[in-house]
Amino acid sequence: MPLNIMTAKPLRRKLFAAVIILLSSISPSLSQLHAAESVAVAQGGTGELDLSATKALFDTHSICFVDARSEYVYYKSHLKGAISLSKSRFDEQFPDFRQKKSLDTFIVVYCSEASCGKARSVAKKLIQIGYKNVKVYTGGLIEWAHAGFPMEGSICLK
Amino acid sequence: MVKIGFPSALITLLRLILGAFFIMSGYEKLLDLKFFGLVIAEYQILPSFLIPAIALLFSLCELLCGTMLLIDLFSRFSSSVMLCMMVIFIAAMINNVLRGLEHDCGCSQFLAQWFGQEEIGIGPIVRDILFFILLLPIALLGSNRIPWKKDRK
Repeated sequence: MPLNIMTAKPLRRKLFAAVIILLSSISPSLSQLHAAESVAVAQGGTGELDLSATKALFDTHSICFVDARSEYVYYKSHLKGAISLSKSRFDEQFPDFRQKKSLDTFIVVYCSEASCGKARSVAKKLIQIGYKNVKVYTGGLIEWAHAGFPMEGSICLK
Repeated sequence: MVKIGFPSALITLLRLILGAFFIMSGYEKLLDLKFFGLVIAEYQILPSFLIPAIALLFSLCELLCGTMLLIDLFSRFSSSVMLCMMVIFIAAMINNVLRGLEHDCGCSQFLAQWFGQEEIGIGPIVRDILFFILLLPIALLGSNRIPWKKDRK
Protein backbone atom coordinates (compact mmCIF):
# COMPACT_ATOMS: atom_id res chain seq x y z
CA MET A 1 0.00 0.00 0.00
CA PRO A 2 2.64 2.62 0.92
CA LEU A 3 4.24 1.90 -2.41
CA ASN A 4 0.97 2.67 -4.17
CA ILE A 5 0.66 6.02 -2.42
CA MET A 6 4.22 6.86 -3.39
CA THR A 7 3.54 6.14 -7.05
CA ALA A 8 0.06 7.69 -7.07
CA LYS A 9 1.18 11.10 -5.77
CA PRO A 10 3.60 11.87 -8.61
CA LEU A 11 0.96 10.64 -11.04
CA ARG A 12 -1.63 13.02 -9.56
CA ARG A 13 0.88 15.84 -9.68
CA LYS A 14 1.60 15.08 -13.31
CA LEU A 15 -2.11 14.93 -14.12
CA PHE A 16 -2.72 18.20 -12.27
CA ALA A 17 0.17 19.85 -14.12
CA ALA A 18 -1.14 18.54 -17.44
CA VAL A 19 -4.62 19.95 -16.74
CA ILE A 20 -3.11 23.34 -15.77
CA ILE A 21 -1.01 23.43 -18.95
CA LEU A 22 -4.00 22.42 -21.08
CA LEU A 23 -6.26 25.07 -19.53
CA SER A 24 -3.62 27.78 -19.85
CA SER A 25 -3.13 26.96 -23.53
CA ILE A 26 -6.86 26.98 -24.25
CA SER A 27 -7.89 29.96 -22.16
CA PRO A 28 -6.15 32.71 -24.22
CA SER A 29 -7.85 31.53 -27.40
CA LEU A 30 -11.16 31.13 -25.57
CA SER A 31 -10.96 34.61 -24.09
CA GLN A 32 -9.96 35.96 -27.52
CA LEU A 33 -12.95 34.23 -29.09
CA HIS A 34 -15.33 35.58 -26.46
CA ALA A 35 -13.89 39.07 -26.85
CA ALA A 36 -14.19 38.90 -30.62
CA GLU A 37 -17.69 37.53 -30.45
CA SER A 38 -18.76 40.28 -28.05
CA VAL A 39 -17.38 42.85 -30.51
CA ALA A 40 -19.21 41.09 -33.32
CA VAL A 41 -22.43 40.93 -31.35
CA ALA A 42 -22.08 44.59 -30.36
CA GLN A 43 -21.84 45.59 -34.01
CA GLY A 44 -23.93 42.79 -35.31
CA GLY A 45 -27.32 44.48 -35.15
CA THR A 46 -27.16 44.72 -38.90
CA GLY A 47 -25.03 41.57 -39.17
CA GLU A 48 -22.14 43.63 -40.48
CA LEU A 49 -18.57 43.81 -39.18
CA ASP A 50 -15.86 46.41 -39.57
CA LEU A 51 -12.13 45.76 -40.05
CA SER A 52 -11.15 45.58 -36.36
CA ALA A 53 -14.01 43.25 -35.44
CA THR A 54 -13.21 41.01 -38.42
CA LYS A 55 -9.52 40.91 -37.51
CA ALA A 56 -10.41 40.02 -33.92
CA LEU A 57 -12.53 37.13 -35.20
CA PHE A 58 -9.81 36.11 -37.66
CA ASP A 59 -7.28 35.87 -34.83
CA THR A 60 -9.44 33.33 -33.01
CA HIS A 61 -8.83 30.85 -35.88
CA SER A 62 -12.28 29.43 -35.24
CA ILE A 63 -14.31 31.40 -37.77
CA CYS A 64 -15.16 30.31 -41.29
CA PHE A 65 -14.46 33.09 -43.81
CA VAL A 66 -16.44 32.87 -47.04
CA ASP A 67 -15.36 34.65 -50.23
CA ALA A 68 -18.44 35.67 -52.22
CA ARG A 69 -16.51 36.89 -55.28
CA SER A 70 -16.12 34.80 -58.43
CA GLU A 71 -13.98 31.70 -58.04
CA TYR A 72 -11.29 32.86 -60.49
CA VAL A 73 -10.74 36.05 -58.46
CA TYR A 74 -10.63 33.98 -55.26
CA TYR A 75 -7.98 31.78 -56.93
CA LYS A 76 -5.76 34.84 -57.52
CA SER A 77 -6.00 36.20 -53.95
CA HIS A 78 -8.19 35.80 -50.91
CA LEU A 79 -8.27 36.26 -47.17
CA LYS A 80 -6.06 33.59 -45.59
CA GLY A 81 -8.01 30.40 -44.92
CA ALA A 82 -11.18 31.63 -46.66
CA ILE A 83 -13.46 29.28 -48.61
CA SER A 84 -14.89 30.20 -52.01
CA LEU A 85 -18.68 30.34 -52.22
CA SER A 86 -19.35 32.73 -55.07
CA LYS A 87 -22.64 34.45 -55.66
CA SER A 88 -22.48 33.57 -59.37
CA ARG A 89 -21.92 29.80 -58.86
CA PHE A 90 -23.53 29.41 -55.44
CA ASP A 91 -25.67 26.41 -56.43
CA GLU A 92 -22.67 24.48 -57.83
CA GLN A 93 -20.37 25.22 -54.90
CA PHE A 94 -22.83 24.98 -52.01
CA PRO A 95 -23.16 21.14 -51.74
CA ASP A 96 -19.42 20.85 -51.08
CA PHE A 97 -19.57 23.73 -48.58
CA ARG A 98 -22.53 22.13 -46.77
CA GLN A 99 -20.58 18.89 -46.31
CA LYS A 100 -17.70 20.77 -44.68
CA LYS A 101 -19.58 23.29 -42.54
CA SER A 102 -22.44 22.58 -40.13
CA LEU A 103 -25.36 24.97 -39.60
CA ASP A 104 -23.83 26.14 -36.29
CA THR A 105 -20.60 27.36 -37.89
CA PHE A 106 -19.80 31.05 -37.32
CA ILE A 107 -19.46 32.44 -40.84
CA VAL A 108 -18.11 35.79 -42.01
CA VAL A 109 -18.83 36.58 -45.67
CA TYR A 110 -16.89 39.19 -47.64
CA CYS A 111 -16.43 40.38 -51.22
CA SER A 112 -14.15 43.02 -52.70
CA GLU A 113 -15.34 46.27 -51.09
CA ALA A 114 -18.21 47.99 -49.32
CA SER A 115 -20.09 48.81 -52.54
CA CYS A 116 -19.99 45.17 -53.63
CA GLY A 117 -23.30 43.48 -52.86
CA LYS A 118 -22.16 39.88 -53.37
CA ALA A 119 -21.31 39.30 -49.68
CA ARG A 120 -24.76 40.43 -48.50
CA SER A 121 -26.42 38.31 -51.15
CA VAL A 122 -24.48 35.14 -50.18
CA ALA A 123 -25.04 35.84 -46.46
CA LYS A 124 -28.77 36.16 -47.11
CA LYS A 125 -28.82 32.83 -48.95
CA LEU A 126 -26.90 31.10 -46.13
CA ILE A 127 -29.31 32.48 -43.51
CA GLN A 128 -32.28 31.32 -45.62
CA ILE A 129 -30.74 27.84 -45.80
CA GLY A 130 -30.48 27.71 -42.01
CA TYR A 131 -27.04 28.96 -41.00
CA LYS A 132 -27.51 30.77 -37.68
CA ASN A 133 -24.30 32.75 -37.24
CA VAL A 134 -23.68 34.65 -40.46
CA LYS A 135 -22.05 38.09 -40.57
CA VAL A 136 -20.84 40.29 -43.41
CA TYR A 137 -17.43 41.96 -43.43
CA THR A 138 -18.33 45.15 -45.29
CA GLY A 139 -14.82 46.51 -45.95
CA GLY A 140 -13.99 43.51 -48.10
CA LEU A 141 -10.68 42.25 -49.41
CA ILE A 142 -9.43 45.65 -50.58
CA GLU A 143 -9.62 47.10 -47.05
CA TRP A 144 -8.14 43.87 -45.62
CA ALA A 145 -5.21 44.00 -48.06
CA HIS A 146 -4.57 47.72 -47.41
CA ALA A 147 -4.37 46.94 -43.70
CA GLY A 148 -1.65 44.38 -44.51
CA PHE A 149 -3.52 41.47 -42.95
CA PRO A 150 -2.86 37.83 -44.00
CA MET A 151 -3.83 36.82 -47.52
CA GLU A 152 -3.11 33.92 -49.83
CA GLY A 153 -3.65 32.87 -53.45
CA SER A 154 -1.72 32.39 -56.69
CA ILE A 155 -0.69 36.09 -56.83
CA CYS A 156 0.49 36.06 -53.21
CA LEU A 157 2.58 32.94 -53.81
CA LYS A 158 4.52 34.49 -56.70
CA MET B 1 -1.92 33.85 -104.56
CA VAL B 2 -3.18 37.25 -103.49
CA LYS B 3 -5.83 38.73 -105.74
CA ILE B 4 -8.61 41.33 -105.60
CA GLY B 5 -6.12 44.12 -104.98
CA PHE B 6 -5.37 43.14 -101.38
CA PRO B 7 -1.61 43.73 -100.95
CA SER B 8 0.29 40.61 -99.89
CA ALA B 9 2.46 42.76 -97.64
CA LEU B 10 -0.64 43.71 -95.64
CA ILE B 11 -1.61 40.05 -95.26
CA THR B 12 1.91 39.21 -94.12
CA LEU B 13 1.77 42.07 -91.60
CA LEU B 14 -1.63 40.90 -90.30
CA ARG B 15 -0.35 37.34 -90.10
CA LEU B 16 2.70 38.36 -88.07
CA ILE B 17 0.81 40.64 -85.66
CA LEU B 18 -2.09 38.24 -85.07
CA GLY B 19 0.25 35.23 -84.89
CA ALA B 20 2.39 36.89 -82.20
CA PHE B 21 -0.73 37.98 -80.29
CA PHE B 22 -2.28 34.50 -80.29
CA ILE B 23 1.03 32.88 -79.26
CA MET B 24 1.29 35.18 -76.22
CA SER B 25 -2.38 34.75 -75.37
CA GLY B 26 -2.29 30.93 -75.69
CA TYR B 27 1.01 30.61 -73.84
CA GLU B 28 -0.15 32.54 -70.77
CA LYS B 29 -3.38 30.53 -70.65
CA LEU B 30 -1.39 27.28 -70.77
CA LEU B 31 0.81 28.55 -67.93
CA ASP B 32 -2.24 28.90 -65.64
CA LEU B 33 -4.87 26.51 -67.00
CA LYS B 34 -6.70 26.39 -63.67
CA PHE B 35 -7.38 30.13 -63.77
CA PHE B 36 -8.58 29.94 -67.40
CA GLY B 37 -10.81 26.98 -66.47
CA LEU B 38 -12.35 28.96 -63.61
CA VAL B 39 -13.06 31.87 -65.98
CA ILE B 40 -14.73 29.46 -68.46
CA ALA B 41 -16.78 28.05 -65.54
CA GLU B 42 -17.99 31.58 -64.79
CA TYR B 43 -19.61 31.72 -68.26
CA GLN B 44 -22.01 29.03 -66.96
CA ILE B 45 -22.45 27.52 -70.40
CA LEU B 46 -20.48 24.25 -70.25
CA PRO B 47 -20.87 21.35 -67.80
CA SER B 48 -18.10 21.28 -65.16
CA PHE B 49 -16.55 18.01 -66.33
CA LEU B 50 -15.84 19.48 -69.79
CA ILE B 51 -14.19 22.67 -68.55
CA PRO B 52 -10.57 21.44 -67.99
CA ALA B 53 -10.54 19.81 -71.47
CA ILE B 54 -12.00 22.90 -73.16
CA ALA B 55 -9.50 25.17 -71.35
CA LEU B 56 -6.63 23.01 -72.62
CA LEU B 57 -8.09 22.79 -76.15
CA PHE B 58 -8.62 26.57 -76.49
CA SER B 59 -5.17 27.39 -75.13
CA LEU B 60 -3.45 24.86 -77.41
CA CYS B 61 -5.47 26.05 -80.41
CA GLU B 62 -4.43 29.65 -79.81
CA LEU B 63 -0.77 28.71 -79.36
CA LEU B 64 -0.58 26.37 -82.38
CA CYS B 65 -2.63 28.56 -84.72
CA GLY B 66 -0.58 31.60 -83.66
CA THR B 67 2.64 29.72 -84.41
CA MET B 68 1.34 28.54 -87.79
CA LEU B 69 0.26 32.07 -88.69
CA LEU B 70 3.65 33.43 -87.70
CA ILE B 71 5.63 30.94 -89.82
CA ASP B 72 3.02 30.98 -92.63
CA LEU B 73 2.27 27.27 -92.35
CA PHE B 74 -1.34 26.47 -93.34
CA SER B 75 -2.25 30.11 -92.69
CA ARG B 76 -5.72 29.82 -94.23
CA PHE B 77 -6.53 26.78 -92.13
CA SER B 78 -5.22 28.23 -88.87
CA SER B 79 -6.92 31.60 -89.42
CA SER B 80 -10.17 29.72 -90.15
CA VAL B 81 -9.83 27.87 -86.83
CA MET B 82 -9.23 31.20 -85.07
CA LEU B 83 -12.27 32.68 -86.85
CA CYS B 84 -14.40 29.86 -85.42
CA MET B 85 -12.98 30.51 -81.95
CA MET B 86 -13.73 34.24 -82.27
CA VAL B 87 -17.34 33.42 -83.18
CA ILE B 88 -17.58 31.20 -80.07
CA PHE B 89 -16.06 33.91 -77.81
CA ILE B 90 -18.30 36.66 -79.23
CA ALA B 91 -21.43 34.50 -78.91
CA ALA B 92 -20.55 33.48 -75.33
CA MET B 93 -19.89 37.07 -74.27
CA ILE B 94 -23.08 38.42 -75.90
CA ASN B 95 -25.05 35.60 -74.25
CA ASN B 96 -23.70 36.46 -70.78
CA VAL B 97 -24.06 40.22 -71.21
CA LEU B 98 -27.71 39.64 -72.13
CA ARG B 99 -28.12 37.41 -69.04
CA GLY B 100 -26.74 40.25 -66.91
CA LEU B 101 -23.69 38.32 -65.70
CA GLU B 102 -20.52 40.17 -64.72
CA HIS B 103 -17.14 38.42 -64.86
CA ASP B 104 -13.71 38.45 -66.44
CA CYS B 105 -13.73 37.77 -70.20
CA GLY B 106 -10.66 35.50 -69.93
CA CYS B 107 -9.31 37.12 -73.09
CA SER B 108 -5.64 37.86 -72.48
CA GLN B 109 -3.94 38.36 -69.16
CA PHE B 110 -0.92 40.18 -70.59
CA LEU B 111 -3.26 42.96 -71.79
CA ALA B 112 -4.85 43.00 -68.33
CA GLN B 113 -1.43 43.85 -66.87
CA TRP B 114 -1.59 47.20 -68.67
CA PHE B 115 -5.31 47.86 -68.96
CA GLY B 116 -6.59 46.12 -65.83
CA GLN B 117 -8.92 43.13 -65.57
CA GLU B 118 -11.36 43.03 -68.45
CA GLU B 119 -14.93 42.16 -67.67
CA ILE B 120 -17.29 40.96 -70.38
CA GLY B 121 -18.99 43.86 -72.09
CA ILE B 122 -18.97 45.97 -75.19
CA GLY B 123 -15.15 46.52 -75.15
CA PRO B 124 -14.02 42.87 -75.41
CA ILE B 125 -16.89 42.08 -77.83
CA VAL B 126 -15.85 44.89 -80.20
CA ARG B 127 -12.20 43.82 -79.93
CA ASP B 128 -13.06 40.22 -80.83
CA ILE B 129 -15.15 41.46 -83.78
CA LEU B 130 -12.09 43.47 -84.86
CA PHE B 131 -9.94 40.32 -84.63
CA PHE B 132 -12.56 38.51 -86.71
CA ILE B 133 -12.36 41.22 -89.41
CA LEU B 134 -8.54 41.15 -89.35
CA LEU B 135 -8.47 37.35 -89.65
CA LEU B 136 -10.85 37.30 -92.63
CA PRO B 137 -8.32 38.43 -95.31
CA ILE B 138 -5.87 35.73 -94.19
CA ALA B 139 -8.58 33.05 -94.23
CA LEU B 140 -9.79 34.15 -97.69
CA LEU B 141 -6.58 35.19 -99.40
CA GLY B 142 -3.74 33.70 -97.41
CA SER B 143 -1.83 30.57 -98.33
CA ASN B 144 -2.00 26.95 -97.26
CA ARG B 145 1.49 26.23 -98.52
CA ILE B 146 4.33 24.64 -96.59
CA PRO B 147 7.18 27.18 -96.68
CA TRP B 148 10.10 24.75 -96.63
CA LYS B 149 8.63 22.66 -99.52
CA LYS B 150 8.52 25.78 -101.67
CA ASP B 151 12.15 26.50 -100.83
CA ARG B 152 13.25 23.10 -102.15
CA LYS B 153 11.79 23.77 -105.64
